[in-house]
Amino acid sequence: MLFEELKNIERQPDGTPVAAEDLLRLLVFKDISPQFLKKNANATVWRHFRRGDIVCREGEFGSTAFYILDGKASVALAAPIAHVNAKGRPSGFLARLTSKFTSRLAARQEDSREDEVDRRSIPIDAPVDLAYDHPVAELGPGELFGEMTCMNYYPRSATVRAETDCTMLEMLRNVLDVLQKSKAFRAQLDETYRRRALDSHLRDVPIFRGLRQDFVDHLRDRVELLRFAPGQVICKQGDPADSFYLVRLGFVKVSENYPGGELVLAYLSRGDYFGEIGLLGGGTRTAACSALDHVEVVRISAEDFRDMVQRYPEVRSGLERAARERQDANQERLRMVASVPLESFLAQGLMEAQSLLVLDLEKCTRCDACVTACADSHDGVTRLVREGLRFENFLVATSCRQCRDPLCMVGCPVGAIRRRNSLEVIIEDWCIGCGLCSKNCPYGNINMHSFAAQADDHEHPGHKKAVVQKKATTCDLCTELTEPSCVYACPHDAAHRVEPRDFFAESLGQRTSRSGRPRS
Amino acid sequence: MRIDRTHRGWLIASVAIACVSLLLYLRYRLPPGEGSMGGTAMGLWFGSVGFAFMIFAAALGARKRVPVYRIGRAQTWMRGHLWLGLVSLPVILFHSGFRFGHGLTAWLMALLIIVVASGLFGAALQHYMPRAITRDVPMETIYDEIGHVRAQLLEEAEGLIRQATGGEKTASDPGGADAAAVKAPVAVAEESAPLRTFYEQELKPYLEKPGARGVRLGDAAKARVAFTYLRTLLPPALHATIEDLEGICEEERQLTLQSQMHMWLHGWLLLHIPISLALILLGAVHAVMALRY
Repeated sequence: MLFEELKNIERQPDGTPVAAEDLLRLLVFKDISPQFLKKNANATVWRHFRRGDIVCREGEFGSTAFYILDGKASVALAAPIAHVNAKGRPSGFLARLTSKFTSRLAARQEDSREDEVDRRSIPIDAPVDLAYDHPVAELGPGELFGEMTCMNYYPRSATVRAETDCTMLEMLRNVLDVLQKSKAFRAQLDETYRRRALDSHLRDVPIFRGLRQDFVDHLRDRVELLRFAPGQVICKQGDPADSFYLVRLGFVKVSENYPGGELVLAYLSRGDYFGEIGLLGGGTRTAACSALDHVEVVRISAEDFRDMVQRYPEVRSGLERAARERQDANQERLRMVASVPLESFLAQGLMEAQSLLVLDLEKCTRCDACVTACADSHDGVTRLVREGLRFENFLVATSCRQCRDPLCMVGCPVGAIRRRNSLEVIIEDWCIGCGLCSKNCPYGNINMHSFAAQADDHEHPGHKKAVVQKKATTCDLCTELTEPSCVYACPHDAAHRVEPRDFFAESLGQRTSRSGRPRS
Repeated sequence: MRIDRTHRGWLIASVAIACVSLLLYLRYRLPPGEGSMGGTAMGLWFGSVGFAFMIFAAALGARKRVPVYRIGRAQTWMRGHLWLGLVSLPVILFHSGFRFGHGLTAWLMALLIIVVASGLFGAALQHYMPRAITRDVPMETIYDEIGHVRAQLLEEAEGLIRQATGGEKTASDPGGADAAAVKAPVAVAEESAPLRTFYEQELKPYLEKPGARGVRLGDAAKARVAFTYLRTLLPPALHATIEDLEGICEEERQLTLQSQMHMWLHGWLLLHIPISLALILLGAVHAVMALRY
């Protein structure tokens, strides 16, 4: 169909604005007012790419979306699918003497971490998702990519390269915004989503993996695709649960209201889901969900959801288990928050950690020897910031301050940063190193670590070249060492790694401390 | 480093070294008029031990340059630095027989006294100042970030003033039909003239040059009076803004105090370190000359 439409359009050189008349010849633009297109004449331009050309690179900031008119493009992640691992202790006397960590990249197969999500696909800003094991996919005529970048100015989530000679339309937000209101365009996008991504999204929910293809096909035409404007409420805490949702685009803020205020539990991005607990539990929403930016979700009705859990007992048992765990956690949180203010509860959340780094401010001369030592032992990249929560005369410099509102999670173009059950953050393997989380973290607790890596050489297809790849990382408190470098290097006996339950029990008025002395 | 009960071992060891040295000195000292103590065997022994203590104390600087090397915890080195550095003074005095001599030896004695005195001063500062900073500067930030935080405070104050005096558009669309909303900031601007004047004449200069002398906003009590007076000149609608500005001033005062305390806490090292290095260098020269000639 698109091929037929293009026959009547004379292609212009690269970078030339597309005439309104030409746009109106395309089916997806047919609902758009000609006056609007004429007024915004420069907002859509022709783009021609030769085979092998890079259309956009992952991690780059941009403000446009691309609509493919003809040709094929590949979309892939160049960043290694791995996280930063600093556990590899050096061997040999001299190397041990220095106790420097050799930070390296490790995939989840070789270094599994607690609460790591078991995903099979990586969500990107395109109509397809990428497989975890082989993050490459193909895009063709009639497909749009870069929506999130265009609408919300997030970094590009993947690298797109022309596989054949391609012609695309590159458009600015004002055009895309109007286009998304066009019925024809929406219908095309929705159809593409149902055909290409819904299957992988559903199967990315661990408990839905057992669904048979015929049921997914049955759902394909029954699900509803909904859009929400920034700030719009999707569901309220306490409302009757009537649907299950999959996030297709944008960020959904999930929060719970407590007597002391609102606690943001997560920012869900493409591929994440919500609403199952309410459907299986007491029939009411346990948390409030709202659109942080331009959000699109897939809604599965309660009827279809119940049909699904009846047909697939294994899905039901998995969901019930997940619901029970979540409800238990909610009950526990509610019980604690009912007795202490929210801020204190979050402070107590620190006590969930295995160990904490604390600085005794009455001894600390602010010489930053700890920060220097941390940087020296982690390839020059410090993971310690001498700021944090204070308890009396102690400053807690931990890997994550478990913010009430975890801003670091907003905007991750591949949804690689999220909360563990303990509320601390975890950075998943498919972090592309764009640095947005590091920039967003108000406390500087997320650092970008550079690694030498091999990436496809686009100038010489089939070859690899050495590149510097960045990955986000947080402090791991040097748990491999008996004494972290920052503690070892503190000349004033001010830095200590402590077991929080004992150390802060007295401060938080829970029980008498067994020992007033830090562990190390 | 805070001097507390954990130093007891070092204290006892240092006192023991000093007492043993005193006993040896009393046993082997030369009667008046019988030459220099430094040239005797016991004098050389005192000199060697004292110089060794000084070198160990000076090695702390080198230790700090390799923070991750597992060659002893930095705090152990610091304790050694404090106590052995202190004990080196009586040991060297026993070495010299309590005589300053002249020329190089006089210089060495003077340098040693300055080093030990500045070290004691620094130790006292490091004992008391961290507690004072923690108590008096609750809004403490990282020292290197102070400039950045100050710029943010100035920006924040500018924003508040713009908003209060109508220099900034309200949320309402100025081109829209809501005429009342458009007029609102102008009305505020007329009433808020004293606020603008106060900002231009007092607050802004203070935030731009917080260390300047004679500025009343730099004094908490005088600032309180100034803000109380300002409240009487302005409508209640602007009192929240005044409160915010007062908060900004308070934070600025704390940053200034933190800077001053930080300067005290670390400034003495500007004297202590170079003099220590000179002492070690000249001490080595003295040792070579004494042993050779």
